[in-house]
Amino acid sequence: MIGKLFATLRKDALLLWRDRAGLLLLFVMPAVLVVIITLVQDNVYRLMGETAARVILVDRDRDELGRLLNERLAGLELVTAIEGETISRSKAMGLVADGDYQACIIVREGTTARLLARVRAGIRASLLKEAGEGGGEPIPELEIYFDPTVMGGFRSSMRNGLSLVLFEFEGDARMKALSEVLPEFIEREIKKAAGDFADYVEVPSLEIDIPTEPLLTVRTASASTAGLTVVPTPTQHNVPAWALFGMFFIVVPMAGSLIRERQEETLMRLRSMPVAYAIILAGKVMAFMLVCFTQFLLIYLLGRFLLPAFGLEPFRVGAEWGGALLVVAAASLAAAGYGILLGTLCRTYEQSSMFGSISVVAGAAIGGVMVPVYAMPEIMQKISVISPLGWGLEAFLDIFVRGGGVAAITGQLVLLFMFALSTVVAAWLVFIRRAP
Amino acid sequence: MTGNNHARPLALRASGLVKIYRDGEKPALDGFSVEIGEGDIFGLLGPNGAGKTTAISIMSTLLRPTEGEVTIFNRDTRRRAGEVKAMIGLVPQEIALYRQLSGRENLRYFGRLYGLRGSALSARVEECLDFVGLRPKADQRVHAYSGGMKRRINLAVGILHRPKLLFLDEPTVGIDAQSRDMILARLLDLNKQGTTMVYTTHYMEEAERLCSEVAVMDDGRVLVRGKPAELIKKGGHASLQEMFFALTGRELRD
Repeated sequence: MIGKLFATLRKDALLLWRDRAGLLLLFVMPAVLVVIITLVQDNVYRLMGETAARVILVDRDRDELGRLLNERLAGLELVTAIEGETISRSKAMGLVADGDYQACIIVREGTTARLLARVRAGIRASLLKEAGEGGGEPIPELEIYFDPTVMGGFRSSMRNGLSLVLFEFEGDARMKALSEVLPEFIEREIKKAAGDFADYVEVPSLEIDIPTEPLLTVRTASASTAGLTVVPTPTQHNVPAWALFGMFFIVVPMAGSLIRERQEETLMRLRSMPVAYAIILAGKVMAFMLVCFTQFLLIYLLGRFLLPAFGLEPFRVGAEWGGALLVVAAASLAAAGYGILLGTLCRTYEQSSMFGSISVVAGAAIGGVMVPVYAMPEIMQKISVISPLGWGLEAFLDIFVRGGGVAAITGQLVLLFMFALSTVVAAWLVFIRRAP
Repeated sequence: MTGNNHARPLALRASGLVKIYRDGEKPALDGFSVEIGEGDIFGLLGPNGAGKTTAISIMSTLLRPTEGEVTIFNRDTRRRAGEVKAMIGLVPQEIALYRQLSGRENLRYFGRLYGLRGSALSARVEECLDFVGLRPKADQRVHAYSGGMKRRINLAVGILHRPKLLFLDEPTVGIDAQSRDMILARLLDLNKQGTTMVYTTHYMEEAERLCSEVAVMDDGRVLVRGKPAELIKKGGHASLQEMFFALTGRELRD
C-alpha cells in the first residue's frame, strides 16, 4: 500500500514539475506578489507612521536646540534617517516633495539664541519687573514640512515628538534663566525689606542645581505571550500571507488534475486496478502538500534574504518552527480538500480554474491577506472569520508576530483540518450522486 | 441468448445484466448474458449505442449493474472485486494514460499499482515495451506519440500484470494499418499464451481474423452468438459484415 501511495506521489510530483504554467502559478506568482506588495505596503505604512520614516533635519541654528533635536529624533522609533547638516533648505523641501523623505524639520539660524533671550526676558519681566533684552523678539518658529501623501498618524506623531522636545528645551531654559535671576531677585527683595540696614545685610549665594533626569518614564512592550518584541511589519504580515495565498492556489492544478484524469479516462483505468481510490487520492494530496511546503520555504527564503536587499526588514520566524510547519500542513490539507471538491464539482478545466482562482482571491481578500483584518470595516472583520485563508493567516501571525506556540493556534488548526475533511466528504457525496 | 456449452472452464459468466442510467430513457443493457470460456477471444459486435461499452464496464467491475451478476473465474465481481481486479486487464477506448509522462514512466507507475516492484517491475516494463515495439521511443512523452504508438502503449499498460482476462474496447480505432496489424498479431500471441479476451470493435474483418467466438448485440441485448464462420454459414451470408447489417440494419446510429 505504501509503495502505491509513493508511486502516486512521485507521478503527481513529476506531472506538476512538467506543467510549466502551473509552476509559474504556484511559485512565481506568490514570490512576485510578496516582494511587490511588501514594498508597496512598506511605503504605505511609512506614510501612515506605522513604520520608521526618513526625516531631514536642516539645522541652520548649529546651537543647543539643533543638537537636542538631532539627539531626540535619533531616539524616536519612527525616524530612521536624519540628514541635512549641509543640505540647503530648498533642496531638503524638494526631497520631501518628491517623496524621498517623509518630513523635513528646519531650525532657523539663531533660533536657540532668540529662544533663550525670550525666556530670560520673560523671567526678568516677571520677577524683576523690568523689560529685559530680547523681550521684543518675535516668537521663534520651528518649521516642519510633510510629504503631502503622509497620513495623519505620522503627522501627529512627528508633531507630538517635536512638541515634547521643545517642551523639554523650554523647561530647561526657563530653569536656567530662573536660577540666574532668582538670586538677584532675592537679594533685591531682602535689601528692600531691610531698608536702612540694607548695607549690613549679607545675602548668601544661591546656587540652584535642578536635576534634569526624568521622574517618570513610559515603557511600551508587545503583549505577546512569549514576550517577543516583533511587531507586525509589512514583512511579517506579507510573507506568511502571500505564502498562504500561493498554497491555496494549488486548488487550480489539483482540480485540473482530477478533471483531466476523468476526461482522459485515466480515472477509469485506475478504478479497474486492484488499489483503493483513497490511496491514489492520498498520494495526490501528498504531492500537492509537498508543493505547499516548497512554496512556504521559497517565500520564507525570499522574506529572509531578498526583502532586506530592497531595504525592508528581514522575515523572522521566531522559535516556533514546529508550529509554523503545522500551519503549513493544515492549510495545504485544506487547500487540497477544496481542490478535490472543485475537481469533482466542475466538469471542465476552464470552470475549475476560473472558479478556483476567483474563490481563492476572494478568500484571500476576506481573510486579510491583502489588507490586514484590523484595517477592514467592522462588517468585513466579522465576515473574515469564514475564510480558511484567514484562519491560516491568523495562526501564522499568532506564531510570527504574537510569539504564540502550538497551543495558541489549536483553534485555527482544528478549523483547517475540519474544512479539509468536510470538503473531501462533500466531494465524495457528489461523486457518488453522479455515478452512472 | 447464451446458448453455449463450453467444454473448457468458464472465464466469465454474465447473467441477466440490466443497466438503466439515471438519465437514460431506456435500458442500456436489457437482459445481457454471455459465457466466455478460458482461452477464448470473444468479440462483442454492435452498432453505436448497442451497449458494448456498458457491458464491458460492468464486466470489468467499473460499473454496477441495475440487475444481474457477473462472475470471473468463479469469483463474484461485486463481492470479490479486489481479487477480480488483479486478474483482469483493461484496454479502454480512450488513451487512458498520463500524456506528460513518457511511455516508460506510465508503465512503471501502473505496474507499481499492480503490485510489481524492483527488478521484476523493470524487467516486465521492458518486456511490454518490446512486445508493442516501443522500446526505442519509451522515454518520449506520450503526448508526442503518434496515434498508433498511443494505442500500442495503451495495450502495453493493460497487459503489464499478465492478466488472465483482458478487456479491449475498440483498441484499434483510428490508427494506421501497420499499427493495427501489429496490435492484432500481438493479441493473437497473448491468446496463445493463455490470455482470454473480450473484444469490442466496429471492424468486422478484425473480428473474423481474431475472434474465436462473437456476439452481435443491439438495444442492450445479444442477438446472435457463435463462431464467426458458423454464424456466416448458418445465415447464408457472404461475410460477417453482411450478417451484421442483416441483424442491425443499415440506418445511421449517431
